[in-house]
Amino acid sequence: MGFQPAQGLVVSAGLEAHDTDWAKPEALLDCYIVWATASNDEGTLPCRGPKGRLNYRMECRIPLQGLVAMSHIYRPIVAAWLLSLLAAPAYAQQGHPALPAQAAAQVDRLLSEEVLRGQTLAPPVDDAAYLRRVSLDIIGEPPTPQEIVAFILDPAPDKRARLVERLLGHPLYGQNWARYWRDVILARRSNDRALDLSGNSAVVYLTEQFNAGRGWDAIVRSILTATGKARTDGSTVLAIAHEGKPEETAAEAARVFLGIQLQCAQCHDHPYDSWMREQFHQLAAYFPRVVLRPLPVEVLPDFEVTSIEKVRGGGRNKAQPEHYMSDLNDPKAKGTLTQPQFFLDDAQEQAGLTDGQRRATLARRTTAPDNPWFAKALVNRVWAELLGRGFYEPIDDLGADRKCAAPQTLDYLTRQFIASGHDLRWLLTTITATAAYQRPGRARSESDKAPFSSVVIQPLRADVLFSALGTALQVDLDQVQQNRRGRQGGPRAQFELAFGYDPSLPRDEVAPSISQALLLMNSPQIARAMRADTQQSPLGRLAAAIKDDDLVVSELYLRTLSREPGSAERATARSHIQETGNRAAALEDILWALVNSAEFRERR
Amino acid sequence: MLLPLLHHAQAAIRPDGGVTRRDFIKGLSAAGLATGTLNFRDAMSLEAAELRKRGMACIVLWMGGGPSQFETFSPLEGHANGGETKAIATSVPGIRIAAQFPELAKTARDIAIIRSMTSKEGNHNRASYLLHSGYLPTPTVKYPSLGAICAHEIADKACELPSYVRIGRTGFVDGGGGFLGVEYDPFVLARGDRVPENSTPLTPVERFRSRQALLARMEAGYAAGGGAAQVADHQKLYQSATRMMLSKQMAAFDLTKESSAIRTAYGEGPFASGCLLARRLVEQGVTFVEVTLGGWDTHADNFTKTKELAGQLDRPMAQLIADLKQRGLLERTLVVWLGEFGRTPKINPRAGRDHYPQAFNVVLSGGGMRGGQVIGRVTRDGMKVDDRPVTVPDLFRTICRSLKIDADREQMTPIGRPIKIVDGGSVVQELFG
Repeated sequence: MGFQPAQGLVVSAGLEAHDTDWAKPEALLDCYIVWATASNDEGTLPCRGPKGRLNYRMECRIPLQGLVAMSHIYRPIVAAWLLSLLAAPAYAQQGHPALPAQAAAQVDRLLSEEVLRGQTLAPPVDDAAYLRRVSLDIIGEPPTPQEIVAFILDPAPDKRARLVERLLGHPLYGQNWARYWRDVILARRSNDRALDLSGNSAVVYLTEQFNAGRGWDAIVRSILTATGKARTDGSTVLAIAHEGKPEETAAEAARVFLGIQLQCAQCHDHPYDSWMREQFHQLAAYFPRVVLRPLPVEVLPDFEVTSIEKVRGGGRNKAQPEHYMSDLNDPKAKGTLTQPQFFLDDAQEQAGLTDGQRRATLARRTTAPDNPWFAKALVNRVWAELLGRGFYEPIDDLGADRKCAAPQTLDYLTRQFIASGHDLRWLLTTITATAAYQRPGRARSESDKAPFSSVVIQPLRADVLFSALGTALQVDLDQVQQNRRGRQGGPRAQFELAFGYDPSLPRDEVAPSISQALLLMNSPQIARAMRADTQQSPLGRLAAAIKDDDLVVSELYLRTLSREPGSAERATARSHIQETGNRAAALEDILWALVNSAEFRERR
Repeated sequence: MLLPLLHHAQAAIRPDGGVTRRDFIKGLSAAGLATGTLNFRDAMSLEAAELRKRGMACIVLWMGGGPSQFETFSPLEGHANGGETKAIATSVPGIRIAAQFPELAKTARDIAIIRSMTSKEGNHNRASYLLHSGYLPTPTVKYPSLGAICAHEIADKACELPSYVRIGRTGFVDGGGGFLGVEYDPFVLARGDRVPENSTPLTPVERFRSRQALLARMEAGYAAGGGAAQVADHQKLYQSATRMMLSKQMAAFDLTKESSAIRTAYGEGPFASGCLLARRLVEQGVTFVEVTLGGWDTHADNFTKTKELAGQLDRPMAQLIADLKQRGLLERTLVVWLGEFGRTPKINPRAGRDHYPQAFNVVLSGGGMRGGQVIGRVTRDGMKVDDRPVTVPDLFRTICRSLKIDADREQMTPIGRPIKIVDGGSVVQELFG
């Protein structure tokens, strides 16, 4: 399926270099081209992804001399040369991905063949439920009552697709998924300080990357090759999380980005997978030259991730230029010198590579389109977050020896994702357009008749629950004052401590706790924000503005559960207001009960 | 003759099924006086039955990371593998422990050291799971941890505090109720020296109760509409939380109520507060308390780090045992000291020791066990168990025997497969000799 860009209009082009070693005779360039239209044998196609951009990526090695490569004069020349390459058949074969609507339909078709044969499937959920689901999944916030009403009344037939497009263009999209990945990477940190050091900077960095539409492969490459300061350069989050230690960093990089759990192979051949101890240490050998340097303390302690190329005499904990696999029979011995080698393709590296070269090479091999697990791990994860269960479960445990619930569907989705240039917006648009995603939710404890025959209810992540609480109470909880002094991190961080969980865990291991119940029931900050007896608070203003009890109750339900109350629920509320006698107190009780309900804490 | 008692018993039983001891005894004596049919002996035996129903308790001191046996209870003397650790004599001739534990050396008569623990699991998560539940993790079954099993089998129903409490955070996840359900998950406190957060109701109790009733009515619709499972779990959780927060027993969490002499005796630091809180909770009828002390994963700098940890462990653990003994609680409280594995005899190039499940230590005190003894032996170089190996099922079966739990009792999992509390293993009889 080729195409001819000859009639394409280049809106802008950008170049980015990945290899930071300028002394190399070659540079690896990523080329981003934005097209308005393109044509092929079948005619002119509007190439539209979310926000009207479609990023094409290609890697090419260009013989350049150091600094000359990056000069302003040289860049446009290189860009023009690259554009001319795009017409080449080799590139044309890469093709472009199916438009999300078509891909979604194909996914549904494949699922029905693979796992849903003969099942009677529920129709899609109603608009209010879809709006809430998609808002929580994409931007990590529930919809406001106005948005709910507007969406329900919108007559457009493609309103759901347009809603998704709108949400993906919202800056909170990047922030929501940045927080997700921060939780994933820092949950298994071996350096306890990493949360304090990198927690914020990682979110800032990833928010920027996701909102800019950068491809997942490029983002992962930047994380694997990152250098810089923990508090300002969020891309260093993985190195900070494991203090640059080769074994831990390698194991986590494999688990998080490839879904392959190698860590058992650290000490012995993996007990039940095919990975050998040697392979683990060959992966660790990409990282021995990473070192964390403490920086002089200005306000807060900080560390810099940097490379060390030569061993300096003396001092403990300095990184050696090489990685040695320890001898189990003789732990005091230095061990076997191990060269970096990538466990998935057995490609061997040259000896004596610098840190930049090692990590850049690893980054390329990890994110290569022909790496069977990279894109799959990401697609599996995102699918699992949205549908409530992955093709592979646990979601960070893939591999040839693992069982996949619907291999052809996952393969198709993965191939399209790669073709899109690892475009996360494309993936989210596609998944949210499938019929599978739009089916009603079921409790995790109920077994499903067939995988993906229904969506599984997910517990909200700490950040999302915090935002939902803010919407419910109509208060900006980040600004709420804390009574106790000397608490680190502010209200959101405290909430995250109580409600946070590792997103890589099987979700049925995440259960609400008594401490969480106590917080929602008795937190003074929440109670203050819920008062109805004063015009200073949102509930007080609502009660004063609207005299009709039914309307107030509806508004409270819309703010907390994003839906109108049913008739039984209305009756309960009405009778409670009557029995209590005190309208303000009764409304506080109702809001309290809503915030403490099971439904509030879930994404149905 | 028992009818008047039954009447009083029923009056004393609260809506949620618990019986308060005070009410029962009051009812008892009143009934006896009123009808004249109850003699002193019967009254005492009923009271004893009440006490026996109160049952055993267990305090687990969890050493997260895998504590080195050589730097704690089994110093290796006369071999290079012992490193720089010195040993000292204890109050029991023949038993020597690491020199950094002078306080525990004095309590040697009350502790039993198993030096021949052995397992095959050297991975943190899997080994922690194993040493918490007695089973290795599998994807199909979520095994409940020992604490959940105790809460399920021998919990004191009259106690309004959660029966399974964990103080301190461990790195790994499970240790929860598993297939027994969310009501057997532990109540987790980050620190022992602070009253649990948000445990005071902000409205008068009456209003609080009315809010709860409203919540239940409001959720009925959601439950009927397909959310029954979540709502049921949710309500169980809220009931436990409410029972706890409205209880007078919450005072147990307030360490300032303890005399300053006792508090100083336990020492400083979060682990010390945790141990003191554990004793107070057990006094209130909490069945299982786990107090964690992390940082034992000494792949580097083993000797410095273990000395520091010893400073945090020695006094509190010794004082906990002494305190329990002094209050007459040691017979019915089993104290277990353990981690997920031990550490390598051979010292690595970073002056550290790596994971070593082949031969490690567990220490037990109280719970009807005979202290002042060592079970098992390792070879001179510390590498292998030489005599009387004790596996994890053996240990769990022994713990069940002490706590009067039937280890062979089968429990039904949600997939319909019955699972025994302990799979195999045999009791270490020497501990009860």
